Amino acid sequence: MSVIELEGVVKRYQSGEEVIEALKGVDFHADRGEMVTVIGPSGSGKSTMLNMIGLLDTPTEGTVRLDGRDVTNFTEDELTEERRSTIGFVFQAFHLLPMLTATENVELPSMWDTKRDRHDRAVDLLQRVGLGDRLSHTPSQLSGGQQQRVAIARALINEPEILLADEPTGNLDQDTGRTILEELTRLKEEENIAIVAVTHDEQFVEYTDRVVRLVDGEVQS
Amino acid sequence: MSITSALWRFPSVQMAWRNLGRNRIRTALATLGIVIGVVAIASLGIAGVALQQQATANLGTLADEVTVTAGEDSTTEGVTEEQVEEIRGLAGDAAVVPKKSNRTTLTSRDGQEARVSVTALTEASALYDVSAGDNPDRLQSGALLTNSTATQLGFELGDPVEYDGRLYRIRGLIESQSGFGGGGNELVLPLSALAEQQYYDSVTIVAADGQEAQRIADAIEARVNEDDEEVLSVTSFASVQENIDSFLNTLNLALLGIGSISLVVASVAILNVMLMSTIERRGEIGVLRAVGIRRGEVLRMILAEAAFLGVIGGVVGAAVSFAVGLVVFQVLAGDPTLVFGWESIRYLLIGFGFAVFASVLSGLYPAWKAANDPPVEALRG
Ligand SMILES: Nc1ncnc2c1ncn2[C@@H]1O[C@H](COP(=O)(O)OP(=O)(O)OP(=O)(O)O)[C@@H](O)[C@H]1O
Ligand SMILES: [Mg+2]
Repeated sequence: MSVIELEGVVKRYQSGEEVIEALKGVDFHADRGEMVTVIGPSGSGKSTMLNMIGLLDTPTEGTVRLDGRDVTNFTEDELTEERRSTIGFVFQAFHLLPMLTATENVELPSMWDTKRDRHDRAVDLLQRVGLGDRLSHTPSQLSGGQQQRVAIARALINEPEILLADEPTGNLDQDTGRTILEELTRLKEEENIAIVAVTHDEQFVEYTDRVVRLVDGEVQS
Repeated sequence: MSITSALWRFPSVQMAWRNLGRNRIRTALATLGIVIGVVAIASLGIAGVALQQQATANLGTLADEVTVTAGEDSTTEGVTEEQVEEIRGLAGDAAVVPKKSNRTTLTSRDGQEARVSVTALTEASALYDVSAGDNPDRLQSGALLTNSTATQLGFELGDPVEYDGRLYRIRGLIESQSGFGGGGNELVLPLSALAEQQYYDSVTIVAADGQEAQRIADAIEARVNEDDEEVLSVTSFASVQENIDSFLNTLNLALLGIGSISLVVASVAILNVMLMSTIERRGEIGVLRAVGIRRGEVLRMILAEAAFLGVIGGVVGAAVSFAVGLVVFQVLAGDPTLVFGWESIRYLLIGFGFAVFASVLSGLYPAWKAANDPPVEALRG
């Protein structure tokens, strides 16, 4: 069974008089242990689709299934709970909190869970992405590649089933991008998670198990 | 660091503390606004208290006294024995002191002279404080003389003074009174000294407090003075005290009003600062929401930031107001420790409470707005 499934997903945006159809009936699925890359021209709806998969946004039409459960009509609070327990995010712009150390940034998604102490897992994850000696550095003291690795560790802190990445190498040079990709591939296997990445980066194709091509809001086969 | 570790158990509070630390100047300026508001409320309040206490102290025991003299419509030249009995009946536990008065000139051994007012009465201790000698409850013989007069004329305890051809030994020296009623040279003699005077010139009633004095004054007025007649003229300072009190209360309210306005201004500043900082951190808050931080948790975090501004501003403001209070009491009352009285400490608590309340109130809208911002929109920037 697929961890995440989109079925006939349509997303329309109303901007003034005009209605923009960003997704025109997309079918998609991703399984554990698999890395799926979504590619396509700018404005083709890649980010929009990733937001649906990440339960950050709800479709205008169609169905979203998480572990086989229909979550399409979940309330914002229910979606938040699902995001917290099942989904990890990595952003193009890293989005680390500047006043927190690397370890604290990794702990952030579990911070309000006072019942469980995730400190040890945070340190372990940072060591696994090669930042064992940067635990108490703040983002401003880290390079771009290091920051993105902190962000990956943060995405994994709550043991998610899916890791979503929107242009994770977009702000990094080619070599750094490659190390991030190697990191992701390794973690995908270690943690047995599904990775869905949106990218323009040609390197991705080497590491990926499957490529989904999106053009003008539709999946090309 | 100790504060951070103490708050570790409250993630919202901890995050709030960190967030405030990010832009120290902005935090300091927002706090300064609150400090000014608290200082305005608390120190104006304390100044009001100081004024009130000072006015009450100046009025002294005068407010507790009622003075009765013969009125315009009296058929006699003074207050009669029957009227005194009637007053005693109405006065309850209060001391009733009928007095006869006159004036005379005292001459010292070396020929120095001093004009004194002569008061003849029995219940000396009810009206006078004596600094040397004794202060009889019933003055049957001897005399009391004001201390300053005795010093001026070189009289000492046991010396005789002459009045109306008779000699009286000085048994006690009257302490010069502070307040409105004090001052003047006074010779106090037994009633027998003015025996030829048939009526009393005045009756002084000393009640336990101003309210009791007012009650007695009203009772006498009601009993003896029918319609517009004024058989006895009843004077009470309790009403003066009341007027002063009500004036000072109004003044206090006005001062508090001015203070509150500055706190309102401060909370508008907090609203502005909180709104700015949540808008600046929009993407960051979007990330929090994306990784599964609940709306309520974001809300609490931002409210905690506002509350922190209020608490810090409130504490600093209360400390400054306390210092101001010390100065005010030193200047008005000459005793800075009076600021420790509940009356003034109360205003420190009120100022602090208002600061926290106003800050949290100002934080509500920014917090609500940030918590309910859809994460997709927030992440888009
Ligand atoms: N909130 C919105 N309101 C209106 N239109 C939107 C909104 N979000 C996306 N769109 C439109 O939907 C379409 C798809 O946008 P999307 O961001 O998914 O593209 P993308 O494939 O991620 O592009 P890029 O490679 O440039 O990031 C675009 O035409 C965009 O203008
Ligand atoms: Mg995009």
